Amino acid sequence: MRIFWLLFSYEWRHFRAAKGLVLLCALLLLTGLYGIYYGTTEMERQRQHLTTLPELSRRNVEELKVKFPGPADAGDIGYYHTTYAVHHPDAWAALSLGQRDINPYYVKLRLLGLQNQLYATDNTNPMKVLSGNFDLAFVLVYLFPLLIIALSFNLLSSEREEGILTLLLAQPVSPGVVVSAKLAFRLAVVLGLAWLLSVVGMLWAQVPLDGRVGTWLGLSTLYCLFWFGVALIITALQRTSAFNAVTLLGVWLLLVVLVPSLLNLGVAAAHPVPQGIELTIKQREEIHAGWDRPKTQTMNRFFALYPQWRDTATIRERFVWRWYYAFQHLGDLAVAKQAAAYANGLQQRYDLVEKLNLLSPAINAQSSLNALAGTDLPTHLKFQRSATAYHDALRAFYYPFLFRKVEFTHNDYAREPTHTFTSQPELSTALRGLGKLLLSVGVVFAAGLLLLRARPINPR
Amino acid sequence: MNYILEARDLRKEYPNKLALQGLNLQIEPGEVFCLLGQNGAGKSTTINLFLGFIAPTSGAAFVNGMEVAANPLKIKEHLAYIPENVMLYPHLTGLENLALFSSLAGFKYKEAELLDYLHHAGLPAEAVRRRVGTYSKGMRQKVGIAIAVAKHAKVLLLDEPTSGLDPKASNEFSQLLTQLSAEGTAVLMATHDIFRAKEVGTRVGIMREGELVDVRPTAALNAQELEQLYLTYMHN
Amino acid sequence: MHSIAQKEFVSTLRDKRFLVLSVLVLALLLAATLVGRASYQTLQQERQLAQQTVNDQFRHQPARHPHRVAHYGSFAFRPRSGLSLLDSGVDSFTGTSVFLEAHQQNSVNFSQAQQSGSLIRFGEMTVAFVLQMLVPLLIIFLCFGAFTQERETGTLKLLLSQGVSLRQVAWGKIWGYSRAVALVVAPALALAAALLFGTEEFTSGADLVGRLVLFVLSYAVYFFLFIVGAVVVSAVQASSRAALVTLLGLWILGCIILPKATANLGATLYPAVTKAQMDADVHEEAQHGINGHDPQDQRSAALKAGLLKKYGVDSEEKLPVSVGGIVMSESEAYSAKVYQQHFADLNATYERQNRLSDWVGLLNPYQAIRPLSMGLAGSDFAHYVHFQQAAEAYRYALVQRLNALQTSMGYGDKERKLDAHTWQQLPLFAYQAPPLGWALPHLLLPVVALLLWAVGLSWLGLRLISNSRLA
Repeated sequence: MRIFWLLFSYEWRHFRAAKGLVLLCALLLLTGLYGIYYGTTEMERQRQHLTTLPELSRRNVEELKVKFPGPADAGDIGYYHTTYAVHHPDAWAALSLGQRDINPYYVKLRLLGLQNQLYATDNTNPMKVLSGNFDLAFVLVYLFPLLIIALSFNLLSSEREEGILTLLLAQPVSPGVVVSAKLAFRLAVVLGLAWLLSVVGMLWAQVPLDGRVGTWLGLSTLYCLFWFGVALIITALQRTSAFNAVTLLGVWLLLVVLVPSLLNLGVAAAHPVPQGIELTIKQREEIHAGWDRPKTQTMNRFFALYPQWRDTATIRERFVWRWYYAFQHLGDLAVAKQAAAYANGLQQRYDLVEKLNLLSPAINAQSSLNALAGTDLPTHLKFQRSATAYHDALRAFYYPFLFRKVEFTHNDYAREPTHTFTSQPELSTALRGLGKLLLSVGVVFAAGLLLLRARPINPR
Repeated sequence: MNYILEARDLRKEYPNKLALQGLNLQIEPGEVFCLLGQNGAGKSTTINLFLGFIAPTSGAAFVNGMEVAANPLKIKEHLAYIPENVMLYPHLTGLENLALFSSLAGFKYKEAELLDYLHHAGLPAEAVRRRVGTYSKGMRQKVGIAIAVAKHAKVLLLDEPTSGLDPKASNEFSQLLTQLSAEGTAVLMATHDIFRAKEVGTRVGIMREGELVDVRPTAALNAQELEQLYLTYMHN
Repeated sequence: MHSIAQKEFVSTLRDKRFLVLSVLVLALLLAATLVGRASYQTLQQERQLAQQTVNDQFRHQPARHPHRVAHYGSFAFRPRSGLSLLDSGVDSFTGTSVFLEAHQQNSVNFSQAQQSGSLIRFGEMTVAFVLQMLVPLLIIFLCFGAFTQERETGTLKLLLSQGVSLRQVAWGKIWGYSRAVALVVAPALALAAALLFGTEEFTSGADLVGRLVLFVLSYAVYFFLFIVGAVVVSAVQASSRAALVTLLGLWILGCIILPKATANLGATLYPAVTKAQMDADVHEEAQHGINGHDPQDQRSAALKAGLLKKYGVDSEEKLPVSVGGIVMSESEAYSAKVYQQHFADLNATYERQNRLSDWVGLLNPYQAIRPLSMGLAGSDFAHYVHFQQAAEAYRYALVQRLNALQTSMGYGDKERKLDAHTWQQLPLFAYQAPPLGWALPHLLLPVVALLLWAVGLSWLGLRLISNSRLA
């Protein structure tokens, strides 16, 4: 143990002397801080955008109050009034933005058919979303392995190549202690950086201090440990520094870039998603056929589902709003199966990735961090369900006005339901990810130690 | 059986080469045994086998009665080693390197003692606190000598230790060896330098193609006879 | 010099590590080409089928009032460009279809990225990805020891003692390595060309040939400057290890960190308006007039008064045209004008965001080849905007045509319908991707950046080599 700490303390002196490595760590610290800055400003921007939406609704109501100065037909209001289903980010989202820049974080809703409103996207710059988010999760998942590689690719090989290893191993020091002291020192540096950035990020993003703090730290620690395990395996092979650098970068490329992109192709092929477009086309057909169908047929289908409105007056007019909204809703129901299949298809893709992400700890870490922050696909699907429920609530609010022919007064605007949804973390996904990372760490360390045992360190 | 170094039928084979064929060798405390031979004759292999840096194909090496392969760490407490080209941590000073290696060997010296060892090894005082990266090969060699001496080991394993030393330093090194041997330290030295071997050695062994072909006490030979003997084996 | 090139070429081919790596890269390239083609086929078929379906549906509408038809609307599907099988650019992150209807400009929905989890953010396996990121890595592994190894083994002095200059040695090496790299890349590009021109699914023509030729040329320049750069670094660095670490560091900085950082920085510096805000602003200005002049009801009243005056009648019933149709047409024209301004502003913001990355292309060749490659492949942002504008132009023309039909129906049009065959005479949406000549001006900056790099490296870098140490 004494020798371990002695070597550990000398590693610190070697590290300090190697200006390049210190610079690299400083650079990584800066990129990490930039990642936190970017993530928090991006989420701040989304939050700020979300706060403007009630203002837009209010302006819309003002306009309607001018347009309909007296009591109005609720059908007119439902047609012209826009409101928003909003998806507030969790505080953690600032550290792992996930898909929040791709999936819209609000949906503009009118009382019309839901299905051709639900999938509208926000303005996005495709070049920017192609380049991806420079958030803390990116720094941890992409860049930390590179730092670990830079620190450990010549763990023993540099001493061998510089000829120091012979003198070192001529002392009563076991090679295992030398390797573990070196690894432990690098681990301390890397974990120190990872924890420092994580804590800064958490404070900056003002996350609530709950169990997720531990989960986040656990995920980042295990992920770093995994890469140290890979470095251990490569060290145990006892090849040249150049070979180690190339091999480690190859492993990085494989796990962080190639496996994810190939998996993406495989998953898309395994679960072809019934294109969302099919359902919007079908819904349009349904709704517009509604205009041409006999009104009694439409209303009877509607009443079969909502018997509470059956005793309302028979429609004789050429146009009446309750009939209009009835066939709008029937249009939605006609594609309910497709809508469910679409959402299920996306969920199945996600689940399949969840099953297969043991193949690459990078995917595992990324999706676990996203799950922790509630920024991935399942959260978005939950939001869509919540928006659907909101649309139901809006219909339930307007139907009495429409079917009982109650006039819509200026006071009624304030009674209209509003919507809010805040991301919930997918804790079980994150914890499963933690378990799988632990398994990966166990595998690489076991392999590294076995290799080290099978081939004693050769000082030359 | 008070041999400090012993090789019994020590054999090392590589896939394409027989590096050492059945070496038998006994060295007593206070002896200075010089291995002579061309490059690739098996001198360094022998030293590496005693250090446990490589594993023997068959046979065994013993240090102080302990088998090397079975006690890889324990035996190193009794060994000090100076390679042909001493390499040290370039960004530490000579003093710091000595401090590191001594403490790895389990010694806790005061700075004055460390300076003393460096001084005795012949390192100029001005160089002691300079980074090793600025040293010449000879200066590094002297730090290597200081490291070996400071270990107070029972055995000194030397692989061409004087290469890179100027004649004066070489001479000082010879005196140091004589002194250590008088104190009971055994020395196994691989060298090309026949005259140095004659001067400091108590016995010389001549190696050829992995085989120890002849062993002679140096007292029985003068330098010319030794050279003649060496050349005979090399050309045969 | 020729013999040095030959020596590098031969020894490269004899290097087992290089063989393994290049076989891997070649396999990835071929796989990416085939995958690209397969995904091109499925997506293209899906979109063609969907476009066909909505076109049929549009033409086979029953007798309807034209404004009903304007709300029934149509869809525009974005066809993929032929070369997008090599570089899918932003295609996966842009929507595929837009619903075209009266009064409003809808978003382009259902992007590939929305249909997959965060997995897609790790990057996509395309030919461009292999060419832009992996081949440079192969080049680095190939060239990092170009000079350091010769120096470490002492052969450099031997070479120079034969009377060749350092510069000649460098050019020989560059030429030799170039041949080796070409050997790896050429088969994949040949396969792509065969797929593009040998099968019928692509509308091959001079435009496609031009794009492919420029595509290949750009990558040739890109690889060339990586080879020169790697050789220069190898000459300047003290050891092979230092050269390798420097080159890998540059690769990580250029291919991983900078592109993402600049894209993010651009978005932070030039914030874009949300769709909700933009729609509300467009609505506001269309209702109350741009800058509060000419509110819509005043415009409509003036229009009506003008009509009565023009036809010399005193009531709407006596007009030969439908006032509703005319008002609708005027308001569509007005709101489309307002929308176009806002849409142009939005795109200008995006272009400012993207420009930042393009300028960084002067410092980082990866950020020059990326826009150039996707621009030539027809899958960049400019091509996407071109599609959006074409869809909006079609939407506007269609809606105005339907408004004109409504106008011609005269007073009381709301009670009447137009014949089913009317809809068969309306034009359908057929997207014509812009030609190469349209795309090139957008790509000037990346082209200049690449050429500057190539010339600068050949000139400055080689001077550096001439002055580098021999031992």
